[in-house]
Amino acid sequence: MVINGVEIDDTFAEAFNMRGTRILITAQNLRWAYNAANAMTGFATSVIGCGVEAGIERELTEDETPDGRPGLSVLMFAMGSKVLMQQLETRMGQCILTCPTAAAFAGIESEDMISLGKHLRFFGDGYQVSKQIPDANGKLKRYWRIPVMDGEFLTEETTGMVRAIGGGNFLVLGASQAQVLTACEAAIDAMRKLPNVIMPFPGGVVRSGSKVGSKYPKMFASTNDAFCPTLKGVVKSELDPRVESVMEIVVNGLTFEDIAVSMKAGIEAACSLGKDNGILRISAGNYGGKLGQHHFKLRPILSGEVSA
Amino acid sequence: MSHITLTAKAVSRSVDCRALLPEALQGKTVAEIASIKLAANLSVADVFEVSVDTASEAAAVTFKNTTSAHQYIGFGMTTGQISVTGDAGDFLGAQLQNGVLICTGNVGARAGDRMRRGMLLIEGNTGDYCGSDMMAGTLGVLGTTGAHLGYGMKRGTLLLAHRPAEQATWVDCGFHKLPFLNILYKSFKRLDSRFAQISSQRVQRWMGDMGGLGKAEILVIQS
Repeated sequence: MVINGVEIDDTFAEAFNMRGTRILITAQNLRWAYNAANAMTGFATSVIGCGVEAGIERELTEDETPDGRPGLSVLMFAMGSKVLMQQLETRMGQCILTCPTAAAFAGIESEDMISLGKHLRFFGDGYQVSKQIPDANGKLKRYWRIPVMDGEFLTEETTGMVRAIGGGNFLVLGASQAQVLTACEAAIDAMRKLPNVIMPFPGGVVRSGSKVGSKYPKMFASTNDAFCPTLKGVVKSELDPRVESVMEIVVNGLTFEDIAVSMKAGIEAACSLGKDNGILRISAGNYGGKLGQHHFKLRPILSGEVSA
Repeated sequence: MSHITLTAKAVSRSVDCRALLPEALQGKTVAEIASIKLAANLSVADVFEVSVDTASEAAAVTFKNTTSAHQYIGFGMTTGQISVTGDAGDFLGAQLQNGVLICTGNVGARAGDRMRRGMLLIEGNTGDYCGSDMMAGTLGVLGTTGAHLGYGMKRGTLLLAHRPAEQATWVDCGFHKLPFLNILYKSFKRLDSRFAQISSQRVQRWMGDMGGLGKAEILVIQS
């Protein structure tokens, strides 16, 4: 399969079951909503070292937020419900509670509701106020008003936790670092327009793809040498002599379809630069298909087949 | 769900309306409702014209032409909505457990007494002891309030359009712009009430009743 001169490998991305949640963050203006959301989704690139993978899904208009202020929707993913709950509470306390004018609300409904401000309320030292207010559908929602130095911190008591998928990915292989980065930027721009997904790495792109294991016994993972261009002659390389740089885009989403659709959009955007701009191949990362529950096969996805 | 309309007939005595809650009247026919006893020698048919609309989306009761003789409207309500088009007597929404109660007219004493949850919205004036011993919930008053406002009130919010008389056991916490009011006002927008027109988030906040728990608040809307 070739798109605009770019070869599409006959391979698949291997992804895992995760737990996910969505939080709506509002503030006096978008600047402060971003300050809160950037803090909350900071140091959340990979569950390996950060506990959760998180990112800003999109901007919200005043009509879309519960309190009528500008806001952002944030998605957060973890390998299990316990970690997700812990991380959400910690990040709420350190990043949203602390941020001037910020407020947080549930962004997803589920049978599994997890604490958003439920425990954070005790910061109010007895002066916290609970308010139950019906939403647009008449369903009662509980909010906590916690006195803070800038006025009152407002947060919904809980948000929903849902089953989700993390680790959808594709690799962009090209003739130079600058060209591959440009293609990845185009891919991220296209993918950020889509709902229910986040690309958790810096700017959405990761350069340090890993393999399982290492020559050092204490290391669980190490550099993906087969895709490192500077090791082409030394290891069993996946790269041909033309490839000088490889970057990966990892995508987490609420459903298989969400990830498949975003991968398609991202790959097509990257391929739109074409062979003439140094984009040579698209591949994907997997562990032989044995570890992950979900396989995103590149060629069927690009043909429009998005079902699991 | 049923929407029951109770149109009051002229009465020369007080009428205890505590039996006429949305949850109690659901699924009942006009005849069944008309035969409900309100006192030993008083049934609904004696004091109200009854009509039932079974195609309603929500459990609701509307009282029409009521006066200060109609007491205990919405007493202990747990769900649904009551709309009172007219005045109401004492103990309107007393011990309210949940749901929404709107009154377009003036009300008697002890409105919202020992209310625990839900919203009680009064467009007119209230009598004395409004919100007395209230435990939680939201009680709004667009008119004036009488003496001993929020007497013994533990928690909950009194949202007022007019500044009440100062009381020794209520403490002035100053003027504030409270973000939660936007959410509260949004919920008012669904209601057929003058409360839907409120938009100012700026309020003067009082906390009390310091004679007791002191965790309740009075919010006086600033224009």
